[in-house]
Amino acid sequence: MYKTPGFISFALRRITGIALVLYLFMHIWVIGSAVGGAETFNERLNLFQQPAFKVAEVFLLAAVVWHAFDGIRLLIVSQFKVTDTRASQFYAVLVLAALVTIAGGVPILLFMLNGG
Amino acid sequence: MRVFQLQRISAVALVVFLTIHMVVVHYPPFHIDFSRILERLADPLWKGIDITFLFFVLIHALAGTYAVLTDYESIAKFKRPIAGLAILLGLIAFTWGALTIWSFQPPV
Repeated sequence: MYKTPGFISFALRRITGIALVLYLFMHIWVIGSAVGGAETFNERLNLFQQPAFKVAEVFLLAAVVWHAFDGIRLLIVSQFKVTDTRASQFYAVLVLAALVTIAGGVPILLFMLNGG
Repeated sequence: MRVFQLQRISAVALVVFLTIHMVVVHYPPFHIDFSRILERLADPLWKGIDITFLFFVLIHALAGTYAVLTDYESIAKFKRPIAGLAILLGLIAFTWGALTIWSFQPPV
């Protein structure tokens, strides 16, 4: 049971969901500091512009993309009762999420390597 | 309205808002600083987009957390207080966030 695409999809959706909620509140904490003026905002934002965080951004992108695509898959499955191809849909989401993560992650890493 | 319906409606909205957010705000990657915030929030349309985005993202995040937590049998008996807490947290975060975005003015 624990190795079925359905369970892996369920577990990944929950793990990425929890990670994204934690990120959301951190993001609001950073962006909300804009009301404190330029110095406060830039100071807080700079904490997250180190190379380690740029790499973390790629993982964040992967989590967002996976969560979104798998959510759309789930919506299609339950709304239109497309249940007989669930395993193939899971692998399609996996490939699509990997492709979008690469397409979005490479520019982030190149930007970091160029001193961004 | 049930929690899963809230999740679905907010999810569809988020696909749209998150795509706009990522494409406009983060791609291609550039150095983000205060001046970028000023540039975007000078436009009332962006303020509206950001407030709507905040609304859906809070619903999705809080309803999702509620669903994950109450899936555990030991926590499920506290469904009502957890729901109350999530609604309260959502209202506070939305009010604070929306007022912050709407009233944001470039410092003189």
